[in-house]
Amino acid sequence: MATVDIHRLVKRYGAEEVIHGIDLAIRDGEFISLIGASGCGKSTLLRMIAGLEDISGGTISIDGREVNDVAPKNRDIAMVFQNYALYPHLSVADNMGFSLKLRDVPKPEIARAVKEAADLLGLTPYLDRMPKALSGGQRQRVAMGRAIVRKPRVFLFDEPLSNLDAKLRVQMRTEIKALQRRLGTTSIYVTHDQIEAMTMSDRIVILNGGRVEQVGAPLDVYDRPGNLFVATFIGSPAMNLIEATTRHDGDRLFAETDDGLRLPLDGYAMANEAEVTVGIRPEHFAFTDAGAPGALPIAVDLIEPTGHETHVFGRLGRHQVVVAHSGRVAEAASIFVTIAPGGLHLFDRTSGRRINTIERT
Amino acid sequence: MRASLSTLPGRIGIVIAVALLVAWSLGPIYWSLVTSLTPPLHLLGTPSLWPQQISFEHYAKLFGATSMSQGNAVQSVWPQFSAALTNSLITSGLATVVTVAIAAFGAYAFVRLEFPGRDLLFVAVVATLAIPAYTVMIPLYRLMISLKLIDTYTGITLIYVSAFLPLALWLMRSVYQAMPISLEEAAWLDGAGRVYTLVYIVLPLSAPGLIASAILTFLNAWGQFMVPLVFSPTLATKPLTVLIPEFVTRNYIDFGLMNAAGILAIIPPVLLVLFLNRYLVSGLMAGATK
Repeated sequence: MATVDIHRLVKRYGAEEVIHGIDLAIRDGEFISLIGASGCGKSTLLRMIAGLEDISGGTISIDGREVNDVAPKNRDIAMVFQNYALYPHLSVADNMGFSLKLRDVPKPEIARAVKEAADLLGLTPYLDRMPKALSGGQRQRVAMGRAIVRKPRVFLFDEPLSNLDAKLRVQMRTEIKALQRRLGTTSIYVTHDQIEAMTMSDRIVILNGGRVEQVGAPLDVYDRPGNLFVATFIGSPAMNLIEATTRHDGDRLFAETDDGLRLPLDGYAMANEAEVTVGIRPEHFAFTDAGAPGALPIAVDLIEPTGHETHVFGRLGRHQVVVAHSGRVAEAASIFVTIAPGGLHLFDRTSGRRINTIERT
Repeated sequence: MRASLSTLPGRIGIVIAVALLVAWSLGPIYWSLVTSLTPPLHLLGTPSLWPQQISFEHYAKLFGATSMSQGNAVQSVWPQFSAALTNSLITSGLATVVTVAIAAFGAYAFVRLEFPGRDLLFVAVVATLAIPAYTVMIPLYRLMISLKLIDTYTGITLIYVSAFLPLALWLMRSVYQAMPISLEEAAWLDGAGRVYTLVYIVLPLSAPGLIASAILTFLNAWGQFMVPLVFSPTLATKPLTVLIPEFVTRNYIDFGLMNAAGILAIIPPVLLVLFLNRYLVSGLMAGATK
């Protein structure tokens, strides 16, 4: 168990800088996910923590000790690779015991540690098998077992579930989370799957183009995205964005679109004529009747039932929007919706930053 | 491709092609075998595909203490033959072991270590394959004389290694390049150093490549004629390839003896290939990833 402190971390490949001064403090025992689109630098960051990539600038410290120049083997870190990277010529038991053998741990002790990890992961019947005789999920577990057997200070996971089928992925997700809780080892988990990040992590780090966009507890990030990138990246279907201009009318403030749509901005203090982007999550639209106060008409283009909820794709004025409804929706040419209280997010259009209501600022 | 194989003309075509290929490669060996079993007098007559009369006379000349030649009892050539056989085995064996060992480590450096001029150096090494051996023969001879390495196992082995290493390096480099680096990274994180990772993780998984390199090198060395002709003047290091043509004497070319010796000289490489072939299996990497 350990803390990991990343300070002004930079990675350059030749002249090209791919990570631009990242700061991140990971607490002892925390499960933290690095999430972002491909090429955002999440895997590079993880590999720098592992010591598999050189650090071009800044520092990485584990438990307060700078490890910039410490070889991977001396960092006391275990990593689970996307492709598992099992040693194909060694049995499951030898794969798991490899690191202990290197440390000259006596054989009976290795056997005990391997047995313990195997019990934990349900691998006991397979200890004598070779990796090729295992299924994908079992190989994944062996890779986990290899990591936990030596009780490292930090676990690193590099998209460990992306090679599994959907059902197994959900199952392994729960298992990894439960295992991490039990062992209490600081874990850094790289994924491009936001569901994994949301469900497993204590905190998530959203990366974009080698920069941290936001760090926070999953639901905080979901409820209060710090900027437009995070707002659209987290959540599926993505948040609806509508470009508008602020307009004072009497003592009320509205966001007015160029096609005349008016959305009330209660609780915000803004100058007139400010360029903003209004964000509304698909599930924060509520169905209503045509005459209800604040009812917004949506011309329906497509209805997509997913089973547990229904996605309605349509147009609000000239703006494409998605409405998520937790029930069945009958075919209709148009529907009327209201915005749920607190369901509106406001962003500065130029900087992309979130604008908070008065009581929250 | 599949379609043409399943039709009858397609199959016949394949059969003919295979038959031609087999005849091309086995024909000379068969001819040699027939000649080695034909009595000396018959060899002077019209050649025939099938020996009219089988005789082990030539083999007796190789193995026996004395034998009959043109009606006279003569010394057998066994002492020379066995010495040359030993020399062939030693020089080819040493060349193979040294070449494969250097290629195993060197190619790894060319793939996984970063140093200035790495690719240039590799290209330079491989480019030496394009230099005909004859062009360097005289400078090499002078060099070997000044190093006092003429007619020594060390000298011959060094020449073989320098000649066959580029190919082995090339082969091993592509083997390592095809290997997922995550296996090595996993080993490093598990606490293994570079050399340990290479020896215990990478090399076992590169066995097919190592064996292919070994076979190529051994066969190449075994069949060498020019180099030992120049650098192995005496039976101290003279191999079979140089000894066998010496059965040509001023008055008489002993075709039978040459072919009997040739047939025997084929045996060691055939055995080696049969033995190593068992390890030349694919699928070693199965289960490593995904």
